[in-house]
Amino acid sequence: MRVILKTRPRAKPKIPIEAETIIPQNFLRKNDILVYEGNKERKLEDLFYVTTEGPAVSPDQVEVILTGNTGVIKRVGEYMNAGRIIVEGDIGMHCGNFMSAGEIIIRGNADSWLGREMRGGVIRCEGNAGHYCAAGYRGEKRGMRGGMVEVLGNAGDFAAEYLSGGEVHIHGNCADLPGVEMRGGTLTIGGDCLRPCGNMTGGTCRVFGTAHQMLPTFRRNGSEVTEYGGKQYRMAVYRGDVANRGKGTVLIRE
Amino acid sequence: MTGMLVKNAYVIDPLSGVNGEIMDIAIRDGKIVEEVGSGAVVIDAGGCLTLPGGIDSHSHVCGTKVNFGRYMSPEDMRAGRTSRKGVMHVTSGYSVPTTFGNSYRYSSMGYTTVLEGAMAPLEARHTHEEFTATPHQDMLANTLFDGNWSIMEAVRDKDVKRAAAVVAWTLAAVKGFAIKLTNPGGTEAWGWGEDVHSIRDEVPRFGVTPAEIIETMIQANELLNLPHSVHIHCNNLGVPGNYQTTLDTIDLAPDLNKERQSLYLTHVQFHSYGGSTWKDICSKSEDVARAVNARPQVAIDMGQIMFGRTTTMTADGPMEFKLYMLHHNKWSNHDVELETGSGIIPVYYGRKSLVNCVMWAIGLELALLTKNPWQCMLATDNPNGAPFVKYPEIIALLMSRKLREYEMKVIDPRTEHFVPLFAIDRELDWYEIAVMTRAAQAKALGITRIGKGHLAPGAEADIAIYPLKPDELDPSVDYQQVMAGFAKTSYTIKRGRVVARDGEVIVEGANSTIWTRAEVPPEFDLNNDPEFVKKFEQYYTVRMRNYPVQEVYLPRGVSISTEASL
Repeated sequence: MRVILKTRPRAKPKIPIEAETIIPQNFLRKNDILVYEGNKERKLEDLFYVTTEGPAVSPDQVEVILTGNTGVIKRVGEYMNAGRIIVEGDIGMHCGNFMSAGEIIIRGNADSWLGREMRGGVIRCEGNAGHYCAAGYRGEKRGMRGGMVEVLGNAGDFAAEYLSGGEVHIHGNCADLPGVEMRGGTLTIGGDCLRPCGNMTGGTCRVFGTAHQMLPTFRRNGSEVTEYGGKQYRMAVYRGDVANRGKGTVLIRE
Repeated sequence: MTGMLVKNAYVIDPLSGVNGEIMDIAIRDGKIVEEVGSGAVVIDAGGCLTLPGGIDSHSHVCGTKVNFGRYMSPEDMRAGRTSRKGVMHVTSGYSVPTTFGNSYRYSSMGYTTVLEGAMAPLEARHTHEEFTATPHQDMLANTLFDGNWSIMEAVRDKDVKRAAAVVAWTLAAVKGFAIKLTNPGGTEAWGWGEDVHSIRDEVPRFGVTPAEIIETMIQANELLNLPHSVHIHCNNLGVPGNYQTTLDTIDLAPDLNKERQSLYLTHVQFHSYGGSTWKDICSKSEDVARAVNARPQVAIDMGQIMFGRTTTMTADGPMEFKLYMLHHNKWSNHDVELETGSGIIPVYYGRKSLVNCVMWAIGLELALLTKNPWQCMLATDNPNGAPFVKYPEIIALLMSRKLREYEMKVIDPRTEHFVPLFAIDRELDWYEIAVMTRAAQAKALGITRIGKGHLAPGAEADIAIYPLKPDELDPSVDYQQVMAGFAKTSYTIKRGRVVARDGEVIVEGANSTIWTRAEVPPEFDLNNDPEFVKKFEQYYTVRMRNYPVQEVYLPRGVSISTEASL
């Protein structure tokens, strides 16, 4: 089944839409789907032109396509456990919160908190991601625990903060403090970053650009050769964060 | 006002000696009266269990440390969210909910009076502000004196009257209700990076021992004729082998008061551990319960833990640091100048952890082994053992051996080697539960005289009607219904108004804050004591005139006045 949601023109297009109900499993049932526009509860049909094509018997067979002014829609794919969501543009904050399976593809940019505390599944963002991409929520001890987040562009601050499982791959640059408080999982940064992996206790971070202002609490532990994008790179290996008795690994291109 | 009539109620009112009689209760002007006119609003209880409003004798719901728990656990705020509905505010939070969240949840469980377990005197204003925002319960605040320098000086000089004067002045200044000692001496020692390990250890730099502090405060409390006794959180909380400290503390309690206990030990579950390390921790609830059974001058509360996520918060700074060393998660420690300290860390009690299972069993054992239910109250030390919303589950566990056996199958199988719980057959009945959740609290706190905890004419009309028919239910089998029934009242009536109906709050609250004012002779009034004033101005960072909490912080304050026998 394919569900196409095209945003309707609104009098105040900047008012955010909170749409944690836009997940494939909800479209299987015939119930009304309710979303919030600002602090007002609305039916999905009031804010979107909804077109449904084809049948589905399980959420795996549902594909949701969001088009139009999608940059103001928040929390799409929260607790998603199957199926696929394709966003033909930008997406608002908190896309893919806690998702455990399925796939989200974003053709534009993603706002902050993309894939926060994700448990499984795949998120692929073809533009840039905002701050706290694949991070934990404030106060939570563990962030993303499984699955895969891939960002083809750049990511903002605190990418993969509290990462404890799964894989995060940012092809472009990261801003300040990627992989801070990491406990497990793998973070790969194709470009440059600033102050990576502070306080990390486990997991692996690989930086194929330049790590600016590398923290002094990492201990050099030889070098190794790693393949990335079909090329061989010679990487400096660091262990840390020593300040936190950490056993994480940071690989930085020499 | 036309009044209200609750008809057909299955009443259990232990303080008035009523046990399961079908009767009518008449209410006028917020009080229970003999009868009302025919124009009264009638509520048909339909033979359902009707009890005096619940009283929680030890809970942490308001104050600076609770608020610190809130803002250090933003993840906790994701749980328990409810949206605005009628008069109800938005709420959020599970172990440390918003003040309205606490108030609504207590109300839907039929609780109408709550005692905040620990208020640092210097930070009393915040506590009182949050009391005002907990609108459906009458609030009382235990005031911390465990590391109060003036008290310690009086104890060192063996001057009980001086200690009593300090207590009287402080309670009146901060609008507190009773004396709370949290790890007496230990918290202050922790301010210097040290701790005390038994009640006979000297508190470094002060030349007193915890035992001396406890004994002096018990005597000072009785000199002031305060409604409640000294409320103590013993030393060595959460340390394997600490039951000895608890027994020593119980031994200190003299029998000085005919109407109530002379020493109230709180969350005793955390103080009844045998063994010497976490690996061989075992239950010593039998020893502690035997000591309590032998001494009617002592009352305790369970401090039951329940499995799940919660937040621990206490004025016991060193204990929280030890917990941090176990969990290595976020933590906080705080020192209140010249008075006390505090600490907060989030925890998770798991069924897979043997230590947690032993702790879980100890709380239940204390309640089941204490023969007199008036001596052992039901509490979780909310939120340290579990959030108070777990009370119905605890009631069900106490009432049903079958449920305990069921639980036994899902917890760590080694537990039974370390605890006697599964050999105890006792199942509490409705009357005993009524005692343990309201009557014993009212008696222990000494608030029966202001009409709390009973339903005799003249009492405050605080009533909880639960959708449970004791005649038709067998709690040892129908524990699910017991749990559901105690979680949601049909009606919660507070001071003659129906405040909650089927678990939903339907009116704006108007609670009062109850505090005590002990009238002391002028020579014991510390406002006129040049030495006290001088030291206050010298050591505190606040001026003495700015220290007392103004009346404006207690919009509906009720003071209990007592005449001190100094």
